[in-house]
Amino acid sequence: MIEVEKLSKRYEGRLVLDGIDAVFAPGEVTALVGPSGGGKSTLLRCLNGLEPFDAGVVRVGSETLAPGDVRAQGEQVRRIRRRVGFVFQQWHLFAHRTALGNVTEAPMHVKGVGRREAVERGRALLEKVGLSHREDAYPSELSGGEQQRVAIARALAMEPEVLLMDEPTSALDPERVGALIDLLEQLRSEGLTLVAVTHEMRFARELAARVLVLYGGRIIEEGPPARVLASPHHERTRAFLGLGRGAALRSLGA
Amino acid sequence: MSLSPARRSSFLLPFLLALLALAGLPACGAEQDTGLARVRRTGELRWGADAQGGEPYATEDPDAPGGMRGFEVELAEALARELGVRARFVQNDWSNLIPSLERGAFDVALNGMEVTPARAGRILFTRPYYVFNLRLLARRGDEAVTSLASLRGQRVGTLANSLAWDLLQRSGVEAVPYEGVEEPYIDLEQGRVRAVLMDDIIAQRYGQPRPGLRVVGDVGEGYYAIAVRPGEEDLRDALDEALGRIARSGELRAIFQRWGIDSAAQQRMVDWTEAQTREVLASTHTARMGWGQLVLFLQAAGVTLLVSVGAMLLAIPLGVGLSLTRLYGPRWAGRLATTYVELFRGTPVLLQLYVLYYGLAGVLRLDPLSAAILGLGLNYAAYEAEVYRAGVQAVPRGQLEAALALGMPLRLALRRIIMPQAFRVALPGVTNDFIALLKDSSLVSVISVVELTKRMTITAVDVRSWLIPGALCALLYLVMSYPLSRLARRLEARLERG
Repeated sequence: MIEVEKLSKRYEGRLVLDGIDAVFAPGEVTALVGPSGGGKSTLLRCLNGLEPFDAGVVRVGSETLAPGDVRAQGEQVRRIRRRVGFVFQQWHLFAHRTALGNVTEAPMHVKGVGRREAVERGRALLEKVGLSHREDAYPSELSGGEQQRVAIARALAMEPEVLLMDEPTSALDPERVGALIDLLEQLRSEGLTLVAVTHEMRFARELAARVLVLYGGRIIEEGPPARVLASPHHERTRAFLGLGRGAALRSLGA
Repeated sequence: MSLSPARRSSFLLPFLLALLALAGLPACGAEQDTGLARVRRTGELRWGADAQGGEPYATEDPDAPGGMRGFEVELAEALARELGVRARFVQNDWSNLIPSLERGAFDVALNGMEVTPARAGRILFTRPYYVFNLRLLARRGDEAVTSLASLRGQRVGTLANSLAWDLLQRSGVEAVPYEGVEEPYIDLEQGRVRAVLMDDIIAQRYGQPRPGLRVVGDVGEGYYAIAVRPGEEDLRDALDEALGRIARSGELRAIFQRWGIDSAAQQRMVDWTEAQTREVLASTHTARMGWGQLVLFLQAAGVTLLVSVGAMLLAIPLGVGLSLTRLYGPRWAGRLATTYVELFRGTPVLLQLYVLYYGLAGVLRLDPLSAAILGLGLNYAAYEAEVYRAGVQAVPRGQLEAALALGMPLRLALRRIIMPQAFRVALPGVTNDFIALLKDSSLVSVISVVELTKRMTITAVDVRSWLIPGALCALLYLVMSYPLSRLARRLEARLERG
């Protein structure tokens, strides 16, 4: 679904992505893990053109994203973004629109779907994320968990093939994490490809088919969560997971 | 084009003066001796005039910086000599000469002050020192203009509150008030007025040299006299005597000859009597504050509203465009937008109106109302651009990213997501600017648009009182601005929810 080849990016002289090669297969759930500053979020943002890169290529189906200025690639980037949804860590719901308005905005104005149809589908999506009763609420009136679910519905409204999520659990109460995992599990079963940056090992374990560990802008280890999380090969992974030589459990359950 | 005779008074000053008068406060200080005694004691005759009034009255001498030249300069010196004192020039805005005289800023006002009943009601006039004609000019080739009567219903330019103004008011023509002596002739050439009626001294210098204009004829006469504070009859009498002496000795006409403004009629100044002055005043009429004036005020308020709303409707989209260009446009376009903002914000709107209306008249022939709306609109766009820029910058960055991540083109994201939120932040600033604009619109009187403040100053001088016209003017401004504030507050409250 998404192919990344030799992706490199410098930021303020530092190499934040260093020749990343990765393939995200259709219907697969991938967790990007690793210490802060390892390049996980940057990689995620490069996948739908939110962040420019210096070398390499990103392919989404038949569309490609080249290095350099994203705005110069106008229509190409927009076609990719329509196929690849993004859920931000802080959700960034449109503050001046209701929950339903957030969900119908892009279908109506980007895809040109009629109001009636957009509203109908928007309501169905809000129901799917369990927020039918909150459709008229503004973002400032919603809890964090509710805002996140609206953000997911908003992304899904564009019927993307891939959903990118940046730290989906970081702003949630621990008891809400289970509900999120259930929702994403359902989406996965419907064929959605998911790539999520996460610190939450439970999330990676229960949902992901594959874990990529990023460190220093490179993928230092990858494999099924059961293997990577239980017996990592790389020393850095062990340190990160708190398994190596008595390292503190600093990254768990962050 | 000259910006020189900016004969305009601020809105506030006359109003405050009226309030002071109402409170019964003595406007001048505690000077013990008055009139002639004071002039003799100080050894100076302080005479107020506006050096910007243009030749040949009293202007700065280009050959002697700080010195003055003009027939009135020589007249003041001759009179001072007759009184045994020195003459000292005091610069004062022409339109405020009388209020300043009343406050005691100088002993006399001597600056092409026409004997009109409106002025005679407030101050003492000496015997006149000059008789002038009211000269009508039209465009060469516009032969249909033969007299004032032939101009019924047409636009005719002149200085507001002058004798010519009074005559036009009574002649059934549409009198268009100007604040400078050159601008009416520019507008006549441009076809924005059908004719111009002015004192012949002015017509000679500023109108007749223009090849496109012709003299239709002289349609009346008037007199220049010196204004003295009421209660200082002794000074007035001394000046009358002095004037009589220099008129009889031939010195007065010699001065006029030197300035090329002498005529046989000036011989009448020699044996002028007080009775003749009274006759002049009796032959002219005095306006009263009545229902007719109220209608004129309401019309002027309508003009103020039209100019303000029109300018704002222009300034808002232009300001939005400028702010977005600065924030998101290509670098060169952003620089251009920044230059626009700095240029229009950094220079006086008065200057911009002058340039737009008179300066560009050759290439862009706008009628006064369009020029007023366009000029204020272009100026306020610069302020709106900054208000919106602040508004856009107050919208969290994530909002734009979220919109782009959904596949929105930048323009759509700005229009649907950023601008509505920026507008909420900008609304108080926009409301503020609109109320400021409502009052700034009084500036357009310099391009001969009669709006509310101009109407007030004209009427106040006509009816010899600032109090009622001032209060009415203030009331009408409030009636226009207050509901707007209320509306904006309600809108803010509604937007608050999102």
